[in-house]
Amino acid sequence: MIMEKIAELFIILILVSVVLNVSSPFIKFAIKLYSFQSLMLAFYILMGAVHFNSVNLYGSFVITIIFKVILIPYFLFKTLKKVKMDKEIDMYIGIPEAVVFAGSLTLLSNLIAQKIVKTGITFGSFVFTISLATFLIGAMLMITRKTLFSQIIGFLTIDNAIFLAANSITHGMPLLVEIGILFDLFVSILILSLLILNLRRNVAA
Amino acid sequence: MQHKLLDLILILPAAALIFSIFTDVLWMSYLQLAVSVLVFLTVGAVALSFNSITVFLGGFFFIDYINLVILITVSTLELFVAFYSFGYVRSEIAGGVSKRKFKFYYFWKNLFIFSMMVSILSNNLGIYWTGLEATTLATALLVSFNRTKESFEATWKYVIMCSVGIAIGLFAIVILYFTTFQVYGESMRSLSFINIMQAGAKLDKNFLILSFILALVGFGTKVGFAPMHNWLPDAHSQGPSPVSALLSGVLLNTALLGILRFYQINGAAGIYYPRYFLIGFGFLTITVSAFSIIKQTDYKRLFAFSSMENMGIIALGFGIGGIAVIGSLLQIFFHALNKGLLFLSSGNVLAATHERRIDKIRNLSKNFPITGIVLLFGAMGISGMPPFAMFLGEIYIMTGIFRTDIWLGFLVFILLILVFIGLFGKVLKMYVGKANAGNEEEGGELKSGGADAAHKAVNEAALHPFIVYVPLIILLFSSFLLFYIPYPFLHIVKSAAAEFGGKLIF
Repeated sequence: MIMEKIAELFIILILVSVVLNVSSPFIKFAIKLYSFQSLMLAFYILMGAVHFNSVNLYGSFVITIIFKVILIPYFLFKTLKKVKMDKEIDMYIGIPEAVVFAGSLTLLSNLIAQKIVKTGITFGSFVFTISLATFLIGAMLMITRKTLFSQIIGFLTIDNAIFLAANSITHGMPLLVEIGILFDLFVSILILSLLILNLRRNVAA
Repeated sequence: MQHKLLDLILILPAAALIFSIFTDVLWMSYLQLAVSVLVFLTVGAVALSFNSITVFLGGFFFIDYINLVILITVSTLELFVAFYSFGYVRSEIAGGVSKRKFKFYYFWKNLFIFSMMVSILSNNLGIYWTGLEATTLATALLVSFNRTKESFEATWKYVIMCSVGIAIGLFAIVILYFTTFQVYGESMRSLSFINIMQAGAKLDKNFLILSFILALVGFGTKVGFAPMHNWLPDAHSQGPSPVSALLSGVLLNTALLGILRFYQINGAAGIYYPRYFLIGFGFLTITVSAFSIIKQTDYKRLFAFSSMENMGIIALGFGIGGIAVIGSLLQIFFHALNKGLLFLSSGNVLAATHERRIDKIRNLSKNFPITGIVLLFGAMGISGMPPFAMFLGEIYIMTGIFRTDIWLGFLVFILLILVFIGLFGKVLKMYVGKANAGNEEEGGELKSGGADAAHKAVNEAALHPFIVYVPLIILLFSSFLLFYIPYPFLHIVKSAAAEFGGKLIF
């Protein structure tokens, strides 16, 4: 019981970090938040691993820490240092509106989750709500912000939401598949960073 | 024997990938020819001796009639593209592009081919996903090969949109895994396509349909279905021509295969209404691309939109079922060939003139006699005119549509006519049109303005013979296929269609 409560705390912190992300225009802070959010996700997976005593989930915990908490934020920081950008300036809607919007998206995902639970789903509707809300808010971040970095953050948020869903629905995907997915994600972040650098250089020239 | 051959299909591109790191570009182009011919022969041998679903490499990969069709398509187009690349690399280097820039061309291209083969042949949906995402990443640096601002922007849009799309596809796989988890428990079998098909009716229907819709939207982004398509024309028009040919010809089909797998799983579970989603998306895609084709001013974008239109037709055919499925499978193969020749031959024009605008290219018949005629007939072929193979695919699909719903058939027919007018009219102008009065040269050839007066000689003679004749050979091959399709291929297509058609009755 106490373990479930702690696990719930972790996933609430994921949602909190996403909403904080919406409310802040600072990119460095956003990357830190992403790292924090991934750490919470990893701890949530660890709780599951301890609870079910599943080797698969232990492996998933380790690779999440390696890729999402350490490697990806590290490379993003490195890129950020090179392009010298600290603040999101181009937004389609202002921060207060965006936060209200994020709140209503959370409510909406709660409604959807309730509906699906009625049709006989077995996993916790709470996790599903958070995962759906994170997914939608990540998509909102991508749509409403124009800076390339914010788009990457939005994409990573969406990805975290899917990982949360995958690890809460089942005992995680098979480890081999998960490694493949994380490696692809990592390479795509590298390529996107490369593109940011090149685009910056072209604009400057 | 069969197993070893199947392993070889994956091993050969991987070997070429490793060699390409160490080898010089010009040497690598010879090696690439050898590898591509070997891959083609291997796939041919597999296709000839194929009779039932075979699992290989520890159950992670399998081959059935459906992915065999796509495998044949990939290996055939890749063969032509390898020959074209041979000439392309040489004429670009002769034209002043540094050899260093081409250093990683073969590396990324082989990585692209390898990851495409992995995702086509994968039995495990997770591996399919990994391979598909890897194709996006491998082609990202090929699309931005020219290192211009436009190409970087196109790549950005391509990588971001496709990654998000494929992430939604991952959600679909997660939900499917959740349903199969209840049957097979925590094991690789829960993601294995063959095992999922066997579980069939035992799976939860609500979740299956949810996963199909997510897969359709997610992988559909990569196929280029209408509301999610706006990365496609940019990405396909910015890359080097051989890459554009591969992107348009086969990568779209690889992404479509994912949707078809989910469609098959739904069919096995006794859910038949996903086909209306395929019909809807297909029709929407044809409509959007038909109107986009009419107002295009850039010829590579024109052909990119035409790929979109053809993917729409193919999806529509799969949705209709029955005879249209045969048409769609044939269309996958013929469209790859035909789009390949269009991108390759328009690449010749681009390589010689460095001009993308349709209205700047005139009088191809004089300066580019072979390329021009290939482009003209290619444009006829791609809109389904008789002397070329795509006529066959389209007539099957149209028959299927007319049998199902005469009004839908009528609408699609009008849209196809629009596409024909847009495509053929524009290419015809490029072929015979007079140069604009303002900037005429002695040859009547295009000029981008008075500024660069020392324009290089713009005709075919400067190009490597390979890149002039490869599109012509594809054209002849495509025309030949209309009159004689080898029996084994026809048998494979019919058997693949039976895997869809047997369960779908209308």
